[in-house]
Amino acid sequence: MKRYALIFTLVMAITAGFGCAKKSADAAYGDDISPELNAAIQQITDARVYFAFNKFDIKSEYKEMLKGKADLIKRYSTIRVRIEGNCDERGTQEYNLALGERRARAAYEHLVTLGVNPGQLEAISYGKENPAVQGSGESAWSKNRRDDFRVVAH
Amino acid sequence: MKKIFIFAILCACFNTTANAAMRVDIYGPGQNIVNLALAAPVTAPQIEATGMGRDLQQLVEQNLSFLPFLHLTNPRSVLGGTVLAGHEPPNLDFKRFQLAGSDILVTCYWPNGDSGIKAVQLRAFETNTGGRLFGKEYPRVTSNDLPEVADRFCSDLLEALTGSGTFFRSTLAFTKKTGIMSANIWLVKPTGRDLRQITNIPGETLSPAWSPDGRFVVFSHINPKSHALGVWDSNSKKVQRIPFPGNVVIGPAFMPDNKVAVALSNGNYPVIFLLNHVFQKERILEQGNSINVSPTFDSAGTKMAFTSSRLGGPQIFLKDLGTGTVTRVSKNGTYNTEANLSPDGTLVVFSRMTDYGHRIFVQDMVTGVERQISFGPGSDEQPSFCADSYFIAFASTRRGGRGIYLTTRHGGEAKKVPTGGGPASFPRWSR
Repeated sequence: MKRYALIFTLVMAITAGFGCAKKSADAAYGDDISPELNAAIQQITDARVYFAFNKFDIKSEYKEMLKGKADLIKRYSTIRVRIEGNCDERGTQEYNLALGERRARAAYEHLVTLGVNPGQLEAISYGKENPAVQGSGESAWSKNRRDDFRVVAH
Repeated sequence: MKKIFIFAILCACFNTTANAAMRVDIYGPGQNIVNLALAAPVTAPQIEATGMGRDLQQLVEQNLSFLPFLHLTNPRSVLGGTVLAGHEPPNLDFKRFQLAGSDILVTCYWPNGDSGIKAVQLRAFETNTGGRLFGKEYPRVTSNDLPEVADRFCSDLLEALTGSGTFFRSTLAFTKKTGIMSANIWLVKPTGRDLRQITNIPGETLSPAWSPDGRFVVFSHINPKSHALGVWDSNSKKVQRIPFPGNVVIGPAFMPDNKVAVALSNGNYPVIFLLNHVFQKERILEQGNSINVSPTFDSAGTKMAFTSSRLGGPQIFLKDLGTGTVTRVSKNGTYNTEANLSPDGTLVVFSRMTDYGHRIFVQDMVTGVERQISFGPGSDEQPSFCADSYFIAFASTRRGGRGIYLTTRHGGEAKKVPTGGGPASFPRWSR
């Protein structure tokens, strides 16, 4: 218990130390950031990349959008983005975790190819565990086969 | 565990010699049905037990209802009734049970009454010959011990008939979902008894797997930030969360030597790694420019079945771990996943995506024949072999909510495992 308390205290101290330089931000974008940065974060997170069933290649229609995200991430070097790969409900859970990872990794690699510092990116798969839309049928499935972009620090 | 051990020692075994050699071939294609009658439990000749005796009888009946090759004789069809003048030959009237079509008769005798702390004797006979299949006395039985007595007796009976009694000694680990990205691990006997939750951590748990020694359950754990290998230790009752570089931890499975294989990131595609005994990467078991996940092993650890996208869509493959040769197992369908290798290494069970949902198939590795063993409705997924290579547990939405069901390598009617409220998935047997 003592050890956990010590670790917790250390983590808090480190977090406080970095607090001035970089804000942890799964949270809403506060008033203490510039309107330009706020707009950049919105642009990075709002648009998603969607995939065909059982595919993880980036369709050409999303390449311009990813270039826009890449430019913003490069411009704001304190920004850190988590790319979250997701699948629809039809596949099985373990395979979908792997497929979601490939989807997240596809966007990650594309952004790196466009010059983004890999240190500003992280990738994770949620498989089919975190649907954007509930329900069955292609209209729901097509919205769930996606990459989400979340700014986790700025 | 200690209690079970002491109980086993106390279990005085009397004359277990089987005079008769009745065997049920549950593995062959022509599995036969055996009719079994339960004589009324007695405390003395013609005196029916009404306390623990009746309760034990009900538990044994419930247990035996899970064996698809056993048909229980309706007591009303036994002329003269099931209350007997004795509990072993020559005071047993086998004729009345033969006339009712019974092949096996089970007697239950409480020599000192059936209330408080008492001994009980259970015997099984072949009605045709009067030969004893086996008999056991369970001393110092209380009402709390009855489920364990029922399980031990049914396990012994199953072993006498088929050669393997592991079904009643096994425990299923499974996941129960409580919301989006929220699920924990539970345990339950295949008969629905001893239901209990073993993890209580935020995030999603998937793919539990037992260690061969029954001490650990490993699983994938996902929270919003990371994947990790979860390890539950039955000794400490604690959960350890072990992250890996690359943030990918999918489908762990134990090998017979208590080492874990799991799909992790190798910087590109998920790769199946073998971990050492302290859960560090030891070596690669399978990799390539494709997804390779969901390893599963036979009980000798010589073969590994897994899912791979090397041919486009996901298919099942088998790797000979001695020679390194990889062969394709699933030859039909475009989406085959969730392989589980039978402990004897002869069958691979897996799920296939169809137009009507997922269905369970079995591929016989000896004959090369594929057979569908589940037919929905809904979706049937995540099949898992019991240690006897006969029973198969799987998750299904056939009754709406997702639940755990049991079938066998031959298919047949699926029986639901009671798991309480909430969607249940990923059934995995202890060995």
